[in-house]
Amino acid sequence: MVRMLQDILVSAKTIAVGMGITLKYLGKKPVTQQYPDERWALPDRFRGFVHNDVPRCTACTACARDCPVDCIYIETEGKGKERKMTRFAIDYNKCIWCSLCTEHCPTDCITMSHDYDHAVYRRERLVYEFVTEPVVPYKPVKEARAKAAAKPAAKPAAGDKAATGAKPGPKSEAPAKPEAPAESAAQPAKPDTPGVPDAGSPEPPQEA
Amino acid sequence: MEALLESFAGIGALQGTPAWVIPALAMFTYGVIVLGGVALAGMFFIWTERKVAGFMQSRYGPMYVGGWHGILQSIADGVKLLLKEDIWPEGADKFLWRLAPILVFVGAFLSFVVLPFGPRAVGAELDMGLLYVFATSSLVVMGILAAGWGSANKWSLYGAMRGAAQVISYEIPLGLAVMPVVMSVGSMNLTTLAASQQGWLWNWHVFHPIFVFSFFIYLISSLAEVNRTPFDLPETESELVSGYHTEYTGMKFAFFFLGEYADMFVVSAIAVSVFLGGWSTGIPYLDRILPAPLVFIGKSVVLVFVQIWLRWTLPRLRVDQLMYVCWKVFIPISLGLLLVYGLARTITG
Repeated sequence: MVRMLQDILVSAKTIAVGMGITLKYLGKKPVTQQYPDERWALPDRFRGFVHNDVPRCTACTACARDCPVDCIYIETEGKGKERKMTRFAIDYNKCIWCSLCTEHCPTDCITMSHDYDHAVYRRERLVYEFVTEPVVPYKPVKEARAKAAAKPAAKPAAGDKAATGAKPGPKSEAPAKPEAPAESAAQPAKPDTPGVPDAGSPEPPQEA
Repeated sequence: MEALLESFAGIGALQGTPAWVIPALAMFTYGVIVLGGVALAGMFFIWTERKVAGFMQSRYGPMYVGGWHGILQSIADGVKLLLKEDIWPEGADKFLWRLAPILVFVGAFLSFVVLPFGPRAVGAELDMGLLYVFATSSLVVMGILAAGWGSANKWSLYGAMRGAAQVISYEIPLGLAVMPVVMSVGSMNLTTLAASQQGWLWNWHVFHPIFVFSFFIYLISSLAEVNRTPFDLPETESELVSGYHTEYTGMKFAFFFLGEYADMFVVSAIAVSVFLGGWSTGIPYLDRILPAPLVFIGKSVVLVFVQIWLRWTLPRLRVDQLMYVCWKVFIPISLGLLLVYGLARTITG
């Protein structure tokens, strides 16, 4: 009898405690994020879908050669002034989001964007074509290259500063303004890559 | 009902018609109002349940249909259920299969006849109102059994058997719990019971030192009576898929669902009229301002919220624990309460 009454008291108490907890949560704001309407603020270095800013692309194929899974397809036609880029495609079925393609880009035109919700119904749709009709690849401005070559000594200090200052900049900005004019957008980004000469040199001898 | 009769009698076009016309019209109107109200309230309760469940689990619940917080979600679901194909299992007993949802819904709906929404807003002032309610809610058991048997599905049958055992067992403490109140008022008429608690808040039966225990026994037994967590053994998603209504789709399922929520309202309304002062607000000045049906429905909705709250707080009991609580805890206690109250009344006269 006493045992039963104790049981009843204990269960009444625990039920009251439990109901108190649920009532407390009823008043709280849910932790749910209303996903398509609200989104996380992504970190700057988030690796989303790879974006290529075509007007700034030199079609040097550095990214395609860096790619460990060969998911970047670059095709060009002609030579010298006639040279045109006919295809720049990324196959996201293969992409492993390693970001190696963005490391050696001479113009920083290939970047990791902050887009991530590109679900599609067919695998074929995940091959993203960036070039719809042949375009003349971007030619790096001569003086910028000369300047970069003329001051190899001043590089370490200035280059580092520029690198730390400029690198996150274009990466986060690039997806926002893909139609930015090539010259103005490219110039500040230029000096921060010490690899410009050797990344640029393979460009002319490249054959289609 | 009386108000309806009077207002119909006041209409000039109805003067001179046979004597049965006006009562029939009043009955029909009352039935339509209650049916519409039950359907709307059921939808509202379903939405409330989903929202409360969501917020208690730190999520939102329905958010899109109908603008503000998915308020029209239930209507969208109702339309979906209407459009669904009516599928029945091979080997189903077609007659019982079709009868079951009707029995469940009608059982819940019949109780609305005696609910005292206000001093002049009662379907019928039956002198055995409480007995009538307990009798009609037993129809729900018939529906559950018919559904389980007619489905030709072992899980449905398990659910139905559990439901029958549970509902019939819990009707005993349910009936015994209201007995002290019936003894004190001297009537089973729900309107009289509610009318006996008018005036100030402390006139409510729930503030009586003995009736308060009766109230809690009634509240918990009523949860078992309407098959809600923590006593939702007939449905138990995790073991019996969803028990007796596993095989139902479309409108038949909608009827089960609506019947369940209507039943929740009915047991809450009875608790309100027996223990919580009926249509009284507890403050005589407010009673004069607020319309009685609004107060009554408001209190019942609060109790429905308590049921929802309990559902999302407590885990489900085991079958033997359920029966233990009923036969070894509630029935002795409610019998004891009856005895104590009877003795006290006899001694004090």
